[in-house]
Amino acid sequence: MSAPAVPSPTGPTDHHVEEQGKFWIYIQIAMLLAVITGLELVTVYLPFLTWILVTVLVVLSTVKFMFVIFYFMHLRWDKAFCTILFFIGLVLAGGTMWALLKLFGAEASRPLSSVMIEAPAAVVPAA
Amino acid sequence: MSNAAAATLDHHHDPSTSTGIPNKKLLMWAFLASDCMFFGCLISTHLIYRLHPPPGTLPAREVFSIELTSFSTFILLMSSLMMALAVNAIQKGNLRSMRWSILTTIFFGLIFLGCQVYEFRNFVFEKHLTITNSILGTTFFTLTGTHGLHVLIGVIWLSIMLAYSFTGRLTEKDAIDVESMGLYWHFVDIVWIVIFTAVYLLEYI
Repeated sequence: MSAPAVPSPTGPTDHHVEEQGKFWIYIQIAMLLAVITGLELVTVYLPFLTWILVTVLVVLSTVKFMFVIFYFMHLRWDKAFCTILFFIGLVLAGGTMWALLKLFGAEASRPLSSVMIEAPAAVVPAA
Repeated sequence: MSNAAAATLDHHHDPSTSTGIPNKKLLMWAFLASDCMFFGCLISTHLIYRLHPPPGTLPAREVFSIELTSFSTFILLMSSLMMALAVNAIQKGNLRSMRWSILTTIFFGLIFLGCQVYEFRNFVFEKHLTITNSILGTTFFTLTGTHGLHVLIGVIWLSIMLAYSFTGRLTEKDAIDVESMGLYWHFVDIVWIVIFTAVYLLEYI
């Protein structure tokens, strides 16, 4: 059903200690993720400039994202190729999102429904 | 299998493949990379229409319930913890612990789905926001509904794996199967991390 098991190059004792340690790492990270989620909630009610709040939220969610993929999804312990493979998809997705937001953010290519409804008011000269 | 014997296994490397990575794990990472692009497009579509809403669009913060969504986020994060513990348990050959962890993950997944069903019902019947009557409804229900479908598939997969573990054919050597399932479940979690910020929290700024 799966690949054959192989001896660890680090030796049984080291590997066992590492596996035991992972349990507490997972617990600590889960607590950290819960705290960050709480911080995100508080952030949206803070009286700061919008761009500061957006930046803080993006940074906090990126931190959560990275903790999950590197610890819960084992990228930290896996071969680098897994990280590269996933980040290819991530970069393509991020690039697509950035391009779409830029394209449709431009004045000439705003979503059709929005343009159609707002256009008459914009072109009719004031009486 | 005893802990001492379990400690001799390395679950992160497989010398029988040219990459040194188990094929099932490689397949799952490739699938998740492609799913990133799928969700990337859905999230950007929602953001584009939120940035340029047609006149008369209902303000999203009057529709959303941040308390319910925060609770759902917390539940999904905890389900990820239990999934990580399930993988850790099977890698150590502790089948009993893995079963309890998977059962808890299923429970948390069902709570998340229950919250989503409640939220959708509330939007449709109380706030009169449907998938067809506004752009917000269309992009919101498509995005969160697709994510919910992923969670449902994950719950079904977890349930099948749990049932399979009672047949006696799931051993520590098959840890890669549980790990692949775990990768899928954690991916569902990270997608929600992005949705929670991009779709919900940004509306409150």
